[in-house]
Amino acid sequence: MNTLVKQFRLFTLFSRFALRTTLQARMGIVFFMLGKIFRFVFIFALLAFIFSKTKTLKGYSFEQTAVFFLTYNIIDSVSQVLFREVYRFRYMVVSGTFDMVLLKPFHPFIKVLVGGVDLLDLVLVIPYIILLIIAAFHISAITFGSVLLYILLIINSLLFASAFHICVLSMGLIFTEVDHAIMIYRDVTGLARMPMDIYKEPVRSFFTFVIPVGLMMSIPVKAFMNILVWPVIFYAFFSSWVLLWGSIVFWKRALKKYQSWGG
Amino acid sequence: MISVKNLTKIYQVHIRQANLLKDIFFRTYKDKAALQNASFSIGENELVGFIGPNGAGKTTTLKILAGILYPTSGTVSVLGTVPFEKNHAFLQQIAFIMGQRNQLIWDLPASDTFALQKEIYSIKDHMYKKQVEMLGGLLKCDHLFDKPVKTLSMGERMKMELISGLLHKPRLIFFDEPTIGLDIFSQEIIRNFIKSYQSESRATIILTSHYLEDVKQLAKRLIIIDKGSIVYDGSMNNIIEQYSKIKLLTVVLDKTVNQMEIRAVAPPFKYKYPKVVYKVKKEELPEKMKLVVKYLPFSDLTVEDASIEEIIKQFFKEKTWE
Repeated sequence: MNTLVKQFRLFTLFSRFALRTTLQARMGIVFFMLGKIFRFVFIFALLAFIFSKTKTLKGYSFEQTAVFFLTYNIIDSVSQVLFREVYRFRYMVVSGTFDMVLLKPFHPFIKVLVGGVDLLDLVLVIPYIILLIIAAFHISAITFGSVLLYILLIINSLLFASAFHICVLSMGLIFTEVDHAIMIYRDVTGLARMPMDIYKEPVRSFFTFVIPVGLMMSIPVKAFMNILVWPVIFYAFFSSWVLLWGSIVFWKRALKKYQSWGG
Repeated sequence: MISVKNLTKIYQVHIRQANLLKDIFFRTYKDKAALQNASFSIGENELVGFIGPNGAGKTTTLKILAGILYPTSGTVSVLGTVPFEKNHAFLQQIAFIMGQRNQLIWDLPASDTFALQKEIYSIKDHMYKKQVEMLGGLLKCDHLFDKPVKTLSMGERMKMELISGLLHKPRLIFFDEPTIGLDIFSQEIIRNFIKSYQSESRATIILTSHYLEDVKQLAKRLIIIDKGSIVYDGSMNNIIEQYSKIKLLTVVLDKTVNQMEIRAVAPPFKYKYPKVVYKVKKEELPEKMKLVVKYLPFSDLTVEDASIEEIIKQFFKEKTWE
């Protein structure tokens, strides 16, 4: 228990320092936020344009499609809030700073996985949640149980995201390659901005059950709308834990192979 | 405290081939032994100099002892544990301070890094305050604690690194080139600090440095590593005595003399009036001193050992011939 409390305190301290470091570059913050807002508004406008030409998208109304899009943004933003430090991992390995992390009496994930919390992304999550609540009021099938399941599946999605980011860290240890892996992750998860139903088989199943992008982004929304079957829900929970376990095994193997070339 | 037996570390290095396609699809590797059957032990309260040429295996050894790297074979025990298991109780007792690495938070004052270290090592408030004051006092740098690290000079940053690394009073300290890139004044400050700190804290210190003056001034015991093998493990005095075959005889002249008189003693190593420096073999020293007295009007005469760099060069030269 003491260890968990200590790790949590370290996490909050790293987060505080990360925020203070971010606030050093005030103009950078402005441009960063403007870029994010512009991208969101642009895609939302595209969605509105599509629905000006059609009443439904694969059977989903505008509000339902908006919930898919907003859920994707919430999960993606929260992942970026938590795992921003992973984007800096290559520099840590190449410069040798990662060695200093290994020498400290705390789990390295506290620093290299969640040690650079980017609260700017968190600020944008708030309007996403507000818009989601507004859209949800137009969907009749939602119940208290479906909302609870939705929240649990979003947390489950963050486990998927954690597993992926841990795999990226492991690859960074062995190959010093992080940037392209992260770009592939962002591109692949971007497929789930819209309901996975828009894709034909076998692409839809491949990106739902094999590369679990659909499990991360679409399944929570379908649970929210009460249109999901229980086997799929169990599969989503089961596969996130399996992937997380696998990523940790990969990390431990990578640590053994780590050659500390940096510096 | 430290026990190393037959420690070996082999890296696999990719060998680039002339043909690009072969290089991608049929890659070949070569085994490079960074360490080969190295064995030594270090006790409590020792300050050991660990030197060797570039690529000898010094940093690899330190990283294995600290648990950063896994050895290929051999046994390592540090503070009673196996370092690469990264037991938190073990990590709590060690510090690794590298001259070339910065673990301070770049954009924030050093005091923030100290606060982080306090949390990491669970240092109690009164102990923390006492250590910061003591270390800041020894290094005379209290006024720098609240300045952003990026605004500090290299020497000042090194002082902050030292304080940050030693706040938790480690029992075992690895110094990997702590004076690299520093001016001679800063080097002296760091050396004096390490000396004072070690005598007060009785920590075990392993020091690597390419500035052999660091090692000569601080370490009583020397381990020399070359091409992954330990080639010397003994006292500093012993290696100086054994391999210091040359003495430097410095004569301060009273008045100008002609070249023939200077050369009558021996060809000078350096001559800029009024100082003449001769490099003299140890066994020839009495004879040369007699010649100095006979031929040169001098006001001062000193005999010094050759520099530690010359001694180590001589050591490696003789090792090559063996």
